[in-house]
Amino acid sequence: MIEILLSFSQATGIYSFMNSPWGWPVAESIHFFGLCLLVGTVGLFDLRMMGFAKEISLADLHRLVPAGVAGYSLNVVTGIMFLSTAPDQYIYNPAVQSKFFFMLIAGINMVFFYATTANEVKSGDAISRVLFRAKAIAAISLACWCAVIICGRLITYYRPPYHWCLWC
Amino acid sequence: MPGSKLGLLKLETLARLEETALSTWMRESGFAFFSALTVHSLAMAFVVGINFAIALRLVGFAPRLEIAALSRFYSLHWYAAVFIFISGMALLLAYPAKALTNPVFYLKLAALTLGLLISRHFQATFFDRPKVTNDRRTINLAYVSVLLWVVTLTAGRFLAYTHNTLLASRYF
Repeated sequence: MIEILLSFSQATGIYSFMNSPWGWPVAESIHFFGLCLLVGTVGLFDLRMMGFAKEISLADLHRLVPAGVAGYSLNVVTGIMFLSTAPDQYIYNPAVQSKFFFMLIAGINMVFFYATTANEVKSGDAISRVLFRAKAIAAISLACWCAVIICGRLITYYRPPYHWCLWC
Repeated sequence: MPGSKLGLLKLETLARLEETALSTWMRESGFAFFSALTVHSLAMAFVVGINFAIALRLVGFAPRLEIAALSRFYSLHWYAAVFIFISGMALLLAYPAKALTNPVFYLKLAALTLGLLISRHFQATFFDRPKVTNDRRTINLAYVSVLLWVVTLTAGRFLAYTHNTLLASRYF
C-alpha cells in the first residue's frame, strides 16, 4: 500500500512539489480553505435545518451547497497529496483513521438525506416527522464535520508507530 | 533589530513571559495546547465559512437567497470570533517569542482585523434590511473580504514554517 502511494506521488510530481520549501504549507492552506467553504455552505445548511435562522428558505440556501462540494473536492485533492507523499505517517495514524471514519459517516448521512428527506425539506411542506428526521441528519452532519476538523488537528499528535492503529 | 539593544530587551521580556507558570502550562500540557489549537481551528472555520457564504451571495451566487436573512448568521459569526480571540491569546501565550518576532503573525493579525471590519460593515448594511441591493462597491468589497480571509488562513498555516526565533523548546 505504502509503495503504491509513494510511486503514485513520485510519478505525478506530487512528491517533488510537497517536498519543495513551500509545498506542504501551500497544500495545508488550500486544505483548510476547502474546509471553510464546506462549513460555510453545508454547515450553514445543517444549522438552518436544525432550526437556526428560520427566515431563510432552505431551497435558496441549498443553492450555496455546490460551493461546498467544490471545497470538498479541494480537500480530497490536497488530502491525496498529503497521504501519497508521506503514507507511513498517515495510514497508520489513529487520528487519520478516525477522520476517515467520520467522513464515511458524513457521506452515508448525506446519501440518506438526499434519498429520503431532501425533496420534502426543500419544498417546504415537511411534516413534523420529516422535520425531526431532518434535524437529526443535520446534527449528525455538523458533528461529523466538526469531528473531522478535530481529528485533522490531532494528526500531528499521533505519529506512528507509537500509537494504536486498526490495521498495522 | 535582533542584535540591537532594543531587540535584546524585547527578547528578554518575551523570555520572561515564557517562563511564567501559565505560559509553561499552555506549552507543556498537551491538553491545553491541543484544546486551544482545536477551538481556534473550529472557530476559524465558522468565521471564514460564514464570510465566504455571504461573499458568495454578494458576488451573485444563489440570487434568490435574501442577504438580510443570511446575515442572521452573523450572530454565530461573532461568537466564533470571540473564541478565535481567546484561543489565539492562549496560543500566543504558549510561544510569544515565536509569534511576535515573525512578520507573518502581524500579516495574519492585520488581515483578520480588516476582514472582521468588513464583516461588521456588511452586517450593519444588510441586517434587517431586505430591500437593499448590492452595488459594484459592495461586490468589490466582497472580493476583498474573500482575499483577506484567504490571507488570514494562509498566514496562519505559514506561521508554523516561517518562525526564526524559538526560545522555549517544543514539548510535543
